[in-house]
Amino acid sequence: MKSADASGSALGAFADNLRAAPRRIREGAFRGGAPHTDRTRSTFVFGNVFLHLHSVRVHRWSLRWWTTAGLGIASVAAFLITLVTGVLLMFYYKPYPDVAYASIKDIHFVVPTGRFMRNIHRWATNVMVVTVILHMARVFYTAAYRSPREFNWLIGLALLVTTLGLSFTGYLLPWDQLAYWAITIGANIAQSPREVTDALGVTDMFDPGGLQRLLLLGSDTVGPEALIRFYLLHVMILPLGLTMLLAVHFWRVRKDGGLARPSDADERLGPPAQTYPVFTEAPAKTYSLAAVVRGRTEAVNRGPENTLPSMPHLFYAELAVTMLTVAVCLALALVSDAPLREVANPLVPENPAKAPWYFLGLQELVSFSAFMGGIGIPAIVILGLALIPYLDREEVQTGDWWGGPGGWPLVRRSIAVGLGSVLALEAFAIRFGWLREWFPAIPQLVVTFVNPATILTLAYGAYSVWLVRRHASARAGALGLFTCFLCGFLVLTVIGTHFRGPNWVFYWSPADWPRH
Amino acid sequence: MLGLSSLWMTAGSMLFALVGALRLPRAAVLDSPSKRVRVSLPETLAAGTAFVPPGRSMAVFRDEDGVFAISTVCTHLGCIIKPTAEGFECPCHGSRFAADGSVTRGPAPQPLRWLKVSASGEQWIVDEAAVVPAGTKVNA
Amino acid sequence: MQKNKLLLLASSFTTLLLLVIAAGQEHFGKEWRDIQGQGRGEEGPIPVQLRQIVNPALGTSDRCVSCHVAMAPGEESVAGSPVLHRHTPAAHDPADYGCTVCHGGQGLATEKTDAHGDVDFWPQPMLPPGMSQAGCGTCHAYVGIPGAGVLAASRGAFERHSCLACHRVDGRGGVQRRASTLRRRGTPQPASPGLDGPELSRVGTTGYDARWYEDHLAKRAGEAADQNATPWSTVFHPIGEADRAALHTYLATRVGAPNLIEAKATFLSTGCLGCHTVGGVGGEEGPDLTRVGDKDPGQVDFAHVPGSRSLAAWNLEHFRSPGAVAPGSQMPVLGLTEDQIRKLTFYVLSLRRRDLPGSYLPKDRLRVARFGDREFTTDGATIFGAFCSGCHGLDGLGRRSPGLPAFPSIANPDFLSRVSDDFVAATVRLGRPGRRMPGWSRIAGGLRPDEITAVVSYLRTRSGIAAPSDPRPKRWVQGDARAGERLFASTCSGCHGATGQGGEGPALNNRVLLDAATDTYLADTIGKGRRGTAMAGFLTSSPARRTLAAAEIESIVAFLRTWQENVK
Repeated sequence: MKSADASGSALGAFADNLRAAPRRIREGAFRGGAPHTDRTRSTFVFGNVFLHLHSVRVHRWSLRWWTTAGLGIASVAAFLITLVTGVLLMFYYKPYPDVAYASIKDIHFVVPTGRFMRNIHRWATNVMVVTVILHMARVFYTAAYRSPREFNWLIGLALLVTTLGLSFTGYLLPWDQLAYWAITIGANIAQSPREVTDALGVTDMFDPGGLQRLLLLGSDTVGPEALIRFYLLHVMILPLGLTMLLAVHFWRVRKDGGLARPSDADERLGPPAQTYPVFTEAPAKTYSLAAVVRGRTEAVNRGPENTLPSMPHLFYAELAVTMLTVAVCLALALVSDAPLREVANPLVPENPAKAPWYFLGLQELVSFSAFMGGIGIPAIVILGLALIPYLDREEVQTGDWWGGPGGWPLVRRSIAVGLGSVLALEAFAIRFGWLREWFPAIPQLVVTFVNPATILTLAYGAYSVWLVRRHASARAGALGLFTCFLCGFLVLTVIGTHFRGPNWVFYWSPADWPRH
Repeated sequence: MLGLSSLWMTAGSMLFALVGALRLPRAAVLDSPSKRVRVSLPETLAAGTAFVPPGRSMAVFRDEDGVFAISTVCTHLGCIIKPTAEGFECPCHGSRFAADGSVTRGPAPQPLRWLKVSASGEQWIVDEAAVVPAGTKVNA
Repeated sequence: MQKNKLLLLASSFTTLLLLVIAAGQEHFGKEWRDIQGQGRGEEGPIPVQLRQIVNPALGTSDRCVSCHVAMAPGEESVAGSPVLHRHTPAAHDPADYGCTVCHGGQGLATEKTDAHGDVDFWPQPMLPPGMSQAGCGTCHAYVGIPGAGVLAASRGAFERHSCLACHRVDGRGGVQRRASTLRRRGTPQPASPGLDGPELSRVGTTGYDARWYEDHLAKRAGEAADQNATPWSTVFHPIGEADRAALHTYLATRVGAPNLIEAKATFLSTGCLGCHTVGGVGGEEGPDLTRVGDKDPGQVDFAHVPGSRSLAAWNLEHFRSPGAVAPGSQMPVLGLTEDQIRKLTFYVLSLRRRDLPGSYLPKDRLRVARFGDREFTTDGATIFGAFCSGCHGLDGLGRRSPGLPAFPSIANPDFLSRVSDDFVAATVRLGRPGRRMPGWSRIAGGLRPDEITAVVSYLRTRSGIAAPSDPRPKRWVQGDARAGERLFASTCSGCHGATGQGGEGPALNNRVLLDAATDTYLADTIGKGRRGTAMAGFLTSSPARRTLAAAEIESIVAFLRTWQENVK
């Protein structure tokens, strides 16, 4: 009897536990309950693995639309879109020459939603490249790279390079003419250090160019080996690397004290509409665990009045930007199909063989010298960008658009200089040709180091040195140089995209191309 | 209110996108070749002897009543069975079938499928996708 | 925060809207859905779904049957709009072979413009309507096809002997019916008893009983005995040996692609092989045509071609005026009729290839590739038409094209009546080094000895002029070469050049010419001239030029002989 009773109560407990299981699962999953009070809102953020990269509270300055224009979030959103659509495309994509092409045709014609997914993937890539570049420009122009955020600027640069690498490796995968010849050219750019080693006569002993190309292609031509390498880079190595770098990037944003803002941000924002009673007892004290973090914790002695809980203020902003990015990608995917030309033919080059648009500026430089345009100048630019935060140790106007000596007028003047010099040089080179046309016997080394690309770089450098001396400020020089390079990039890209036709000849319009 | 409606709209659109994305793995066309096989039977094929068209999993027979084809895909788990003197034998889990395809031993839940045969000139067309009742034999 | 919420609402609403539009595009408004919606099978409407024909051996996945549903395996009974209809009876069932193997086009595509290949960046568009049989050339190399003239003659024999009364060929004939004597197993019972002779449209590939003539004769004898007027005795009559050979030629061309055979016969009588190589056979002057029908239209220069940017349009225009379409082309204007131009274009489009697995290699292709069988018949008329007529004309009277040296007339009666067969054969064999005439036994794609003999005898039989009987030895002239040199300079060099290099007249300092020519031939040609050309007989007096005595002519011949030693 007794045992029956015990067993009865045990069964009852079992039934109760079973009934309570859904509630317990819910409670376990969302600890802290609904985010209604400041406290539960904080728990909501730091109790969630996906949200805890955010700080619990965010400064009102950071939430202003034009502080960041949402560019960083937009590029992450674009990355997530490419990630999702990319994984879906992998269901059908087969990385082997010709078979790859047929599988893209399948995706285009018979896979349910396949064409749309591929279009989204392609457009999200473009959106990502654009937003990443704009994001970098935003960080630069608001001088947000300054201490203590120098290292995150470097991470950002690595992210830019990885993004371009992802896009470049994805370009080969359709295995059509466009892809094949763009990659052939890209691989030979990787080999272009030979231009210098050949001229010095040391290629037999020291051949970094050949090694780079071999590593990239795994063979001496673009074939199955190259395709599987590009595929591996595109779907595994680079996305993993990007994700790692992203994690560090986000983490550093928080650990470096959130977004950069002017020292007088609080005054400029004015008093907040509401105050937060939870902290009124001890406004002079820190409200978080920031004490264990080294360096400045800007909330100390400052009071939390100008901060808002991340949940929901920041998350609405982030979600809104994400959905805006999604909408833009979908709209572009609906109106324009991703290109797919005839299957790759190693015997007949595409004419003109053009890389994706964001590399056409480089391709324009490459048309002067493969080494300087493809490796030398990009390396100089990346190195210059990396050094900026370590050369500019000033503190004036951090967090302000166009902050620094000279300000917007200097940027405006630099735009004029940047556009003017690149247009003048291009016009000259297109109209009159260059050294090789005048002195056919000229040594290659001279052409490699004296060409429109290097002269343009030198001109920009000289202009920026002049700015440094005139304003006695590295920031002024950096502002000028960055602006000039941005203008150069823009003009060269437009020329490469729109004004270059078969045989890389200048045409006013693609309508003037000879018909074949 | 505005916040909630925007959140629900976001959830709705993402759910719709998920439904669309889930459609993708369901292939619209299969890359398997046509199920209809053209078979030329050898003149000397004896009654009770199986003729297996190269590359196909079926056994075609001819006796005095006509021509018939039996699928050699085991109804248990899809292994290809071997025609023997008495009938068929599955190498995977030991199922045995009689000459008419009925199960005599082992785990196979159903008799072997008889396939639809039709005459085409001097050849025969066997449709792997069409099943006919056991015992259906076709004459020219 | 209000702004952000509004932005979120607006952008997520836009997203949903765009997704709905995309879903709509995916599920409605696709061509093949509309077309299949009209389809009716045996059990009512057909399921609307993508269909395809997969042939792993040929490497095809053709979705053409998503619109042309009745061509899909097992869906023969589907009817509805004309697009859905079944294929007209063909040698190869599309349900087994797929569509693009023969027709070209983009099999993976599911929209009309893409599938038919009328888009940029698709290298193999569909063959134009009316030239579909050009697709047969992808796999087949039909052997033993005669030139147009021979083909017409052999067809004439077939029709003259009333073969069409009982036999059906290319959709014609076979109407005479009586008792069934030849029914093959598996064919349905004829509606009315008839004497249905076997269908002969594909007899060139399937082959036929070599003893057919004896059988026919025996049947005629047998039936004539028991009845008064049987088809055997009224329709069939004994056939002469020449006509039987013609019938054999005709039947060999019945391979199921009559339009392509007509086109090929035209190709074989317009002299194209004199300059162009097809499958390793032909001259080396012009581009190799073996895969010219495969060309990617994207790689073709359409700058001088009006109308559509298709390979067919390019070729049609090119045959009308080669130099205008391909600037710098050495190809002469051939003066073809529009019908010939259409046929040549048709044939050129059939010059395509595809990698085939061994089991799909047709016998004819194997015979050409492995055993060196000729794609043309090796009678003199066909070989002359295929190799010689491009330059010498189908009538053999030569050709003059602006900017090119004249091609000599080889049907000239004065020439044929003086020249020996050996001379002609040697010229064909060795050519004229330095001139456009190639040595046909020297070049890789040249002619075989028996084929050269056939051409020479064709020249004789066509003109009816026999080779001269020359009792004298090949070399008999004993003239004074020094005197001959002076005479040559004053009399001959005006046309033949100071060193005999040729000018208005043909070159004479040619090793092959001098080796092959007998003294009689040279002396006769100088003395009696050649009618129809600027070469007049120097023995006959003329006010326009000086007259030569026989001895003087011999001196000139002796002088010409001195070149033989010096000139290579």
